[in-house]
Amino acid sequence: MPSLQKLPGPDVDVVVVDDEETIREGCRMALESEGLRIEAAANGTLGLELLARVKPRVALLDLRMPGIAGIDVLKRLREIDPRIVPIVITGYASVQNAVDSMKLGAFEFLTKPFETTQLLDTVQRGIHHWGTYAPAPHLSVKRKAEPTKSLKSQTDALLKSLEAAEEYAELGGTPSGLADEIRVLEKQASYHARQLGIVQKKGKALHDFVADLHDVDAIVTRHQSKRSGLIQILLDVQNKKKWLPSHMLMWTSRRLGIPMGRILEVATFYEAFSLEPQGRHEVQVCTGTACHVRHAPELSATISALLGIQPGETDSELKFTYKQVHCLGCCALAPVVKVDDAYYGNPSMKELKQIFENCNEDAPSAGEN
Amino acid sequence: MSRLANPEALASLRLKARKNRDAKPQCISVCGGTGCRAAKASGCIKALKDSLARHHLSDTVELRETGCYGLCERGPIVVVSPREYCYFGVKASDADEIVELSVIAAQPIERLMVKDGHGASASSLDKIPFYQGQHRLLLDANTQIDPRSIDDYIAIGGYAALERALFHMRPEEIVDCVTRSGLRGRGGGGFSTGRKWETTRNAPGDVKYVLVNADEGDPGAYMDRSLLEGNPHSILEGLIIGAYAIGAQQGYIYVRQEYPLAVQNTLRAIERARDYGLLGHDILGSGFNFDVEVHRGAGAFVSGESSALIAAIEGRVGQPRSKYIHSSVSGLWERPSCLNNVETWANIRHIINNGADWFANIGTKASTGTKVFSLVGKIQNSGLVEIPMGMPLRKVVYDIGGGLPGNKHLKAVQTGGPSGGFLPESMLDLPVDFDGLWNAGSMMGSGGMIVMDEDSCMVDAARFYVDFLAHESCGQCLPCREGLREMLHILNRIVTGDGREGDIELLEEICDTLEATALCALGTSAPNPVRSAIKHFRSEFETHIREKRCPSLACMSLIHYSIDGELCNGCSVCRKNCPPNAILGEPKKPHRIDQGLCVKCGNCFTLCPPKIRAISKRDGNVPATEQSISMSPRAV
Repeated sequence: MPSLQKLPGPDVDVVVVDDEETIREGCRMALESEGLRIEAAANGTLGLELLARVKPRVALLDLRMPGIAGIDVLKRLREIDPRIVPIVITGYASVQNAVDSMKLGAFEFLTKPFETTQLLDTVQRGIHHWGTYAPAPHLSVKRKAEPTKSLKSQTDALLKSLEAAEEYAELGGTPSGLADEIRVLEKQASYHARQLGIVQKKGKALHDFVADLHDVDAIVTRHQSKRSGLIQILLDVQNKKKWLPSHMLMWTSRRLGIPMGRILEVATFYEAFSLEPQGRHEVQVCTGTACHVRHAPELSATISALLGIQPGETDSELKFTYKQVHCLGCCALAPVVKVDDAYYGNPSMKELKQIFENCNEDAPSAGEN
Repeated sequence: MSRLANPEALASLRLKARKNRDAKPQCISVCGGTGCRAAKASGCIKALKDSLARHHLSDTVELRETGCYGLCERGPIVVVSPREYCYFGVKASDADEIVELSVIAAQPIERLMVKDGHGASASSLDKIPFYQGQHRLLLDANTQIDPRSIDDYIAIGGYAALERALFHMRPEEIVDCVTRSGLRGRGGGGFSTGRKWETTRNAPGDVKYVLVNADEGDPGAYMDRSLLEGNPHSILEGLIIGAYAIGAQQGYIYVRQEYPLAVQNTLRAIERARDYGLLGHDILGSGFNFDVEVHRGAGAFVSGESSALIAAIEGRVGQPRSKYIHSSVSGLWERPSCLNNVETWANIRHIINNGADWFANIGTKASTGTKVFSLVGKIQNSGLVEIPMGMPLRKVVYDIGGGLPGNKHLKAVQTGGPSGGFLPESMLDLPVDFDGLWNAGSMMGSGGMIVMDEDSCMVDAARFYVDFLAHESCGQCLPCREGLREMLHILNRIVTGDGREGDIELLEEICDTLEATALCALGTSAPNPVRSAIKHFRSEFETHIREKRCPSLACMSLIHYSIDGELCNGCSVCRKNCPPNAILGEPKKPHRIDQGLCVKCGNCFTLCPPKIRAISKRDGNVPATEQSISMSPRAV
């Protein structure tokens, strides 16, 4: 990876504030190997001092620290130097905190444990945004009086300044100086609008993520947090999501105190579980004996040709997942096809086409429960 | 709903429930089993309900959604009481006619009826040959009650056996009664139920469990599904009686999650039974405490094996263990546990109600009672049949099953699921009971009975079972994991025309190894389908290997479809219904098949009008003249 070119500005590129020595030292080794200058502090108080002293380009802040936490450092960062780009470090348990920190203007967040490449990539992007990520210095006075709580309000402040600048121009301010000001302000405003969109998207993803964990909580509680209920819990998760996302498995592992290895052992042993996203509609063709002797293989070939996917596959648009299953217990109607919750006995190709066409995006069945 | 504090309360509830049923003498019963639901029974129920409302009959005529009637292939089934007009293949559009003619005018509707043995319309279920030969001890109640209503079950005498067991019999008397009845496990093993109970009862320890095995994984079998869906209380009642006899306080029902309706109806039945105090603390005031939980199986055939099932209930991977100690002594959480199949538990109430001798009189000396079979495959009357043990196979297939469709020749009947074997036509006079089937190289299994005709290839059928078992092998022991994989490899090679001399002998050798060394019954019984297929149909194997063709024209790799240009009139039906668009040709001109695109789904073969019959299924390789023309632009 090419080293960063020397940019004008502060002498220190990155300040790491984290109470874990391994993280501080890990960051130091990784960043210094890229030619970056780094300083570190072991708690919030020392961190604030250091930040005020060196005013780096990027601040890496651990959210969870004894004493002054990273989120508080983040809040005060604007007062120290609004040009500093804050990046927060968080564990899985504090996803909600990450959302909050994004709202407080964090540029990016890293979840522990993170890869070196991930760290370098994020920090480099942060360094490039030094000074442009935060609003222009001459506006900071105004913001000091009225601290912005979120990106949205920062953007609002920018837009207001823009209006004020135009008004000022109409009143006969210096045209050339003002034009530059307006250009900078415009750039800032559009950048913030873009960031706002990204944050909202990320916020939604994080929100969904947290909602998933809450779902696991509810399911685990319904099964009285019993370890013996693992299969039942995974079945409920599977029914809810149609597959088992890894964060939900991890959360189940944590809630039940069962190692992830054992959870994966169960999740890969039973047919009912899928570890990959499934289509919104599930097409199952029964390959039980009764169906087999009544031409299930031919039916299967028909369905494959119609859907354009082989058994076990999901189409690229995540619309259909096509499976062959061992006996649906409807042997008298053989050969049987099950689409979502409905069974069909010996459907013709025309009927199948109709059934698949009816599987439009209206209310895909969300499984039982 | 209030708890029933004592037997008297149960008796008065029964009277009340009967009165409620009698208050509406007219009743339209619609089968709500999964088979009939697949045939759109729900639409019929809605249409009948609307029709009754339009005719202002909602208050006087009962509309009851019952459990499975058994003749699933002719569903949806509707029976109009009290005259018992039974209608098959009913559609929602028939609702008004049924209400107006059969309910109001008390007239039968001929076109919806099936024929009796003499060619006339059957006026009631018992006139239909399918039902005539049966002894529907367990299945009969399915048709009389709404499985979601505990009152319905109590009205027809439900929980009377429980009352009798709790108040008039000592636990050891119950065990003795079950032993004397000769009841043998219906899940496949055929072990004496009474003796199993006795072992658990006598095992040391205060905490004991009773378990229901409803992990019906055998392909081609759905008896347990139908019982759990159609009459869940009958299983619960048997289970509570068993728990009392054995001394268990907790039970588990392990049911496949692939049977959502069965799970739903069982959960509901447990709730209702708890409401009435038939489960829980101090059942019927007897001082006996017992409760049940439902565990859904997550889809693994091997989890139906007892030690694997127990592991699964404990939340672990459902793999069998070697059974140096039986689970009846050390099972669930290392406590004595009694595991029986759904059908076994369903028999208990009848034994308690009618006595051991009565039960022992049904069936044969060594195999008492009835057995439910799923009679499926190439058979006219496909569905669930319950017969007294010992009935000749021929009677089941031809009298009850109505023979094979299209007057085809019967080639084999497969029983016992993947652990069973094939019975050729020459063995049709075999009595269907535990020992008869065992001696013939097959087994009872849980009750799958799959009929195969001349179009079924026995090599392919053997391959089918090995494929199933190789997929379901838990992989713990080498003989099963690698042996089945190797057998599948050999069989796949035979059905695709790459079989070699010596393959049959190699298969037999692997069979011997598996039988002798596999860890659990899945492995040791896995050779049965292959062994019996080779024994009875060796020539079919040889034809595949030596001549590279499938005499039954069933193996997809060894056949091709061809259009006779002389006969084809270019009607285009086949072209329009070819999923991969492999048929080329202009309307009114002979068509042809692009063999490179053909997926051999056989749609064209089925749809070519009978008068024309231009399309044929042929064995062997595609002639050079018909080789792939898929280089031409594909018509999509």
